[in-house]
Amino acid sequence: MSWEEFNAEKVRSAEAYALRHLDSVMLHFFEDCVNCGLCEINCPYTAAGEEYGPVEKAEPLRKIYRRHAQIVPKLFPWLFGAGAPKSKEELDKWVEKAYRCTNCGLCYTTCPFGIHSGEMIKVLRGYLAKSGRIPTLLKLMVDAEASNTLLENAGLRGIWEDAVSKLKEEGVEFNKKNAKYLYITSLAEVMMTPGSVFGAVKLFKKLNLDWTMPDKPLSMRAPIGSLAGDDEATAIVARRIYDYIREINPEYVVLSDGGYPYTFFRFDLPRIIGEKPTFKVVHVVELVEEALKQGKLKFKKAAGKVTWHSPCKMGRFGGLLEEPVRVLSEASSDFVKLKSHGSFGKCCGGGSSIACIVPPTQQMMEKVMGTSIPISGTEKAFLDKLYKDMLVAGKAKVDEIRESGASVVVTSCVGCMHTLSMTTQAYGVNVKLKMLSEFLSENLE
Amino acid sequence: MDILDFAIYVAPPIVVAIFLLGVGYRLGRYLFFWKRRPSAPRRQRPLTKLAVGLVMAFVDPLIQTLKHRKGDFVGALVALHILGVIPLIFLLGQHVAMFSYWIPFYSVLRPLAIPSSITSSSLTVASGVIPASDMSWGFVNTLWGPLVVILNGDLLAILAILGVSYKIGDKIVRLVHRLGNARVGDWYALALLLAILVSGFMATHHLPSGEIGTYRTVLGVHITLAELLVATLPFTKFWHFVFGYWYGKLHEWYDLKFSRGSL
Ligand code: SF4
Ligand code: SF4
Repeated sequence: MSWEEFNAEKVRSAEAYALRHLDSVMLHFFEDCVNCGLCEINCPYTAAGEEYGPVEKAEPLRKIYRRHAQIVPKLFPWLFGAGAPKSKEELDKWVEKAYRCTNCGLCYTTCPFGIHSGEMIKVLRGYLAKSGRIPTLLKLMVDAEASNTLLENAGLRGIWEDAVSKLKEEGVEFNKKNAKYLYITSLAEVMMTPGSVFGAVKLFKKLNLDWTMPDKPLSMRAPIGSLAGDDEATAIVARRIYDYIREINPEYVVLSDGGYPYTFFRFDLPRIIGEKPTFKVVHVVELVEEALKQGKLKFKKAAGKVTWHSPCKMGRFGGLLEEPVRVLSEASSDFVKLKSHGSFGKCCGGGSSIACIVPPTQQMMEKVMGTSIPISGTEKAFLDKLYKDMLVAGKAKVDEIRESGASVVVTSCVGCMHTLSMTTQAYGVNVKLKMLSEFLSENLE
Repeated sequence: MDILDFAIYVAPPIVVAIFLLGVGYRLGRYLFFWKRRPSAPRRQRPLTKLAVGLVMAFVDPLIQTLKHRKGDFVGALVALHILGVIPLIFLLGQHVAMFSYWIPFYSVLRPLAIPSSITSSSLTVASGVIPASDMSWGFVNTLWGPLVVILNGDLLAILAILGVSYKIGDKIVRLVHRLGNARVGDWYALALLLAILVSGFMATHHLPSGEIGTYRTVLGVHITLAELLVATLPFTKFWHFVFGYWYGKLHEWYDLKFSRGSL
């Protein structure tokens, strides 16, 4: 269905999808919001417009829930603003809101009632996708990933095969059964931040690990469907990944991407699959910290001021807030924390697929894939505005980086890297951006 | 039977019944919507850090409000909640007397009772009029001493009225800016709160006139509105005080800090 259409029936039938997500935690997010608006103060998108405050963005989902899950609003929907959008314009407004959220979780920690609006907005995205509104590029990736046809595109295949042949030269053994460590990367990581992958490989070799990795990408990133709220596609990809891991049978799964793939593997996979995992999930930083403690690894102290941008998924949602700081302090002579470092660390502004669908990325993908992505007028206007708003949302982080005086910003998320490359450039802040495993491998002794 | 008799002698059991049914309904829904799913192994963190994290989960939003929303901190948090709702509802002299009548155990709070005005307790002492019953003795020599300059019903009521008015004004400004950030429940809660505060203040000051019938009506309206609040509490945003706040913060701590180790 095109972005120019409005199909009332589809919009109504999408409600079943949203209702599937109504468990007791979601019930709390839905019913216990007192509408105080405090969550706005830390949301990166409030800077682009107060109408993008978390409570405002989660409200459409509340409207749907009210209609089904509360008695009085069911009887008097008009009084409680309950129900589905009634026009194309209203639906377009809802999409605009849903794609002004990076699922960074700052609203979650800021809200006096622990309400995670980002989680509601994620469900709203799924509802909207079922109503015919999903960004075309995102849909393309979700479908290719779910049908396992990513490598059917010559451009993407070229990138992956090129990396595999280089890795072979490094002596990497692929798909080795019962290896102690299974390193999982993604097509996106190989394409956008190859230094992260080769850096991780260098670290594993230095640590003398018994390790392996897949010779085919298991996903575009982690299931990218989860960013679009596509439960079916997410479940298909999750199952495929899980079955592959079970086949290799490692003790540990290791990741160098600290974006949502990290939280997906570490925390979400058991819930999606419905099984307790037989393996542990670690990030490269955990391996490095352990090796430092045991004296198995040493770093040269990199010169220049270095700082750490904590990806929301690895820090706030992944628990690895201080580990990167400790490791980077060992690997640089002048490490400085960003002002908001910690549970309230500012978001880059481009997470949850935003940076991967904005026009510059789309143009890049068109070049890589050698095809043009068909986009209607409404979607184009949506994406152009999204890009402008993303730059506004990312400014607070860029300001912090500028203030820190750092010349190198290290992070560990493909999306953060990509966003920061756009935002630092837009605001004329000249810093080198490095992925954590890349930076560490360059400073190995 | 006038409205005061109704509020005191008829309404209370009905109010309590509706309240309890509402509590059962709201809590029951959490059980009904609960879904069991396998969870990931939690990240191990020291107990002391987890304990500090728990306290901070409750404190952090206050710090954030103070840093970024000074108006809300003063109007909504200090005037409305800390100075307004809590001491006014639970410690105001008249309320302690009334609650002690319904729930005898409540009288343990009698020494903490806040006088209705800065002069009410001292006047009673200075005028040498002996209170008619033992019950009211507790409210004459207040424990708060000179603190009654601040801790008195009049001042607290005025501050709370300002706090509620600030929130109503804030909602209107938001609506004018088309933020749509106002739900029907917000208006119900704020209007009801304002009406309770104003009618309580009027009753204490025998406004609009000292005539007994008017006084009984104003006081009756005040108590009936308060009872309406209690009866509808489980179905409105007032529920946050009983459940949403505690559950929400504990859940967030459990999710981010206990399970994921985000400390
Ligand atoms: S801070 Fe929490 S309670 Fe307040 S509006 Fe935001 S989500 Fe609702
Ligand atoms: S998750 Fe982040 S971006 Fe999304 S609403 Fe919350 S604070 Fe805003």
